[in-house]
Amino acid sequence: MKKNRMNIIKRLIGISIIPLGTLWIMLAFCSVRGVILFESEGNYIAFFRAAAAVMLTTFALSINLNSGRFDFSIGSISLLSSVVSATVCMKLGLPVGVMLILSLILGAVLGAVSGIIYVFIQLPPIIVSLGVALLFEGAAFAFTKGYGVSFVTNIELISFPGILNYSLVILIGLVAIIFLFEYTQFGYEYKTLLSGQKVAVNIGIKEKTNAILCYIISGGLMGVVGFITATNTGNIQIALNFGSIGVMFTAFLPMFIGGFIGRFCNEKIGYLLGAVTTAFISLTYARLNVSSSVQQIVTAIILVIFLIYLNNENKLKQLFMFDRKVYADKEQK
Amino acid sequence: MKKIDVQKQILKIAPVVALLILFAVFYMVGTIKDINVAYGMKAIINQSVVVAIVATGAVFIYTLGSFDISLGASVAVSALLGGIVYNATKSILLMLAVCVGIAVLVALFNSVLASVFNLPVFVTTIAMLSILNAVVLMLISANGTGSQIAVPSEAVAGLDNLGIKVLVLFLFEALCIFVFNFTKIGRKQKFLGSNPVCAKLTGISDKKMSIVAFVMSGIGVGLGAFLCIIYAPTLTKNTATSVGMDVIIAIVFGGMPVSGGARSKITAALIGAFSMTFLSQIMILFNLNLGIGQMVKAAIFLFVVFVATSNQRAKMLPR
Repeated sequence: MKKNRMNIIKRLIGISIIPLGTLWIMLAFCSVRGVILFESEGNYIAFFRAAAAVMLTTFALSINLNSGRFDFSIGSISLLSSVVSATVCMKLGLPVGVMLILSLILGAVLGAVSGIIYVFIQLPPIIVSLGVALLFEGAAFAFTKGYGVSFVTNIELISFPGILNYSLVILIGLVAIIFLFEYTQFGYEYKTLLSGQKVAVNIGIKEKTNAILCYIISGGLMGVVGFITATNTGNIQIALNFGSIGVMFTAFLPMFIGGFIGRFCNEKIGYLLGAVTTAFISLTYARLNVSSSVQQIVTAIILVIFLIYLNNENKLKQLFMFDRKVYADKEQK
Repeated sequence: MKKIDVQKQILKIAPVVALLILFAVFYMVGTIKDINVAYGMKAIINQSVVVAIVATGAVFIYTLGSFDISLGASVAVSALLGGIVYNATKSILLMLAVCVGIAVLVALFNSVLASVFNLPVFVTTIAMLSILNAVVLMLISANGTGSQIAVPSEAVAGLDNLGIKVLVLFLFEALCIFVFNFTKIGRKQKFLGSNPVCAKLTGISDKKMSIVAFVMSGIGVGLGAFLCIIYAPTLTKNTATSVGMDVIIAIVFGGMPVSGGARSKITAALIGAFSMTFLSQIMILFNLNLGIGQMVKAAIFLFVVFVATSNQRAKMLPR
């Protein structure tokens, strides 16, 4: 009983230490500068928007990356799906809810195209995703003749930003992903392929179908990310020559943080908490008017330090004698 | 000769054949459209040479099965610092030394970080990409006019000729071919890329080889940065932005597997870089919309790589 209670406490600490620790540090930074982190409704909206977009991007990236498939095309899927859905909704005068659903469906379709190309030509995913990124960027450029899409004056389409809406996106996204990966045959097969590709294929799991489904889910998520980004500013700028790739880099830090938190709870909840952690950091940058260059450097340094910790955890434990048993054994020897 | 051997030989030369076909198409379309083909060729060499040099150095990293996504940003930072040093000293030699020195330092930092702290190389290079992109913005805002750093064009005009560029490319290519094909370094790297466990068990140090690979890549990046300044002496935040991705495409287009190993070859980078530029120029000749041009380029890229690697299909999907 006592051991169980200790385990629960240990897990709770493991789950909350990074987001709460980060929040505490960010609040401290803000108070030193005389700024309140969450001062207005706009700050809350920015926080929830960042958490929603980063969480979905992290899911989209990790679905394939955890399976050894590096996907450079997720940014271009987000771009093309939002360009098409925004244009269609503007021309037909459709409401913002339809734009969300359309973005999701288009993202899923583009993800399916990406997955089918990968399965059909059987090249390493890194190469396929580079080709697909070029393809979708080119399509977005051709679709808008290079001008991008602007709907800043369309009150209906820019009415989405709000705490409730972003919270719903986070909740539905999280529940859907946990359901798909934990409670369906697809999810079981995904995990089997993850832990042993050869054995899984030999026992009859349809790897190609599973891979295409992964790309479809990843694409659908990126469609929603494109929608969130587009409806925030009312502007979609076109990218060529891999300009869309930057989107995926926002997901690395939350993915690794989520991986760490995932030791104490469901990995997907870990990704959400990773996204929340980065949203705290992003909001602090905005509140303190930190320049984008400094933001990039600080985020990269946090990523590297965190990875150094993750990859050298045992050595560090021994070094600082946290792992007293190992240390004592070494001393004895 | 067995049928399968013939097929292998054909696939081996597929990238070269693709390059020749692209050259022929460029020549024919250029002639039909009454365009100065010689001038077009000059433009192609100018555009290809930076990617070819950077990609040639990067082959050492790719051979180990790693990849460096920060190469483009590294070219930009090296070029900017080279430009700043030139403006301060008026010395071309010093500019070259700074370009190569900074690029090698960045590469060494990447490899040492990955080796000492056991980090996955791709993650360290992603972090480095962010840092270098930020450094580019900082350098430009601190030392330039706010949007650019310009080296006087008359200072580098004497160097902006094809002879010098081709010479630099040829010398670096020769150095890399020598190191890769005629020294232990190349053999060890191919071994590590093919079977890292077995290679380590035979006493090959993956850390040392990783450092050597990054240093060779750094030299390529530095030379690429130097040629960037010569070709376009006004350096902005957009300088060399697409080089990082172009390098991956060039290497794969040239017929080298992205997983590295024994099938790696230095010349792949050269062939791939020129093929990609020919393709881009052909799209321009057809007056295609930029977006459609990029789509066609992507489709041809995937098709050529698909054909060139058609003997490498396995029962399972590649990862």
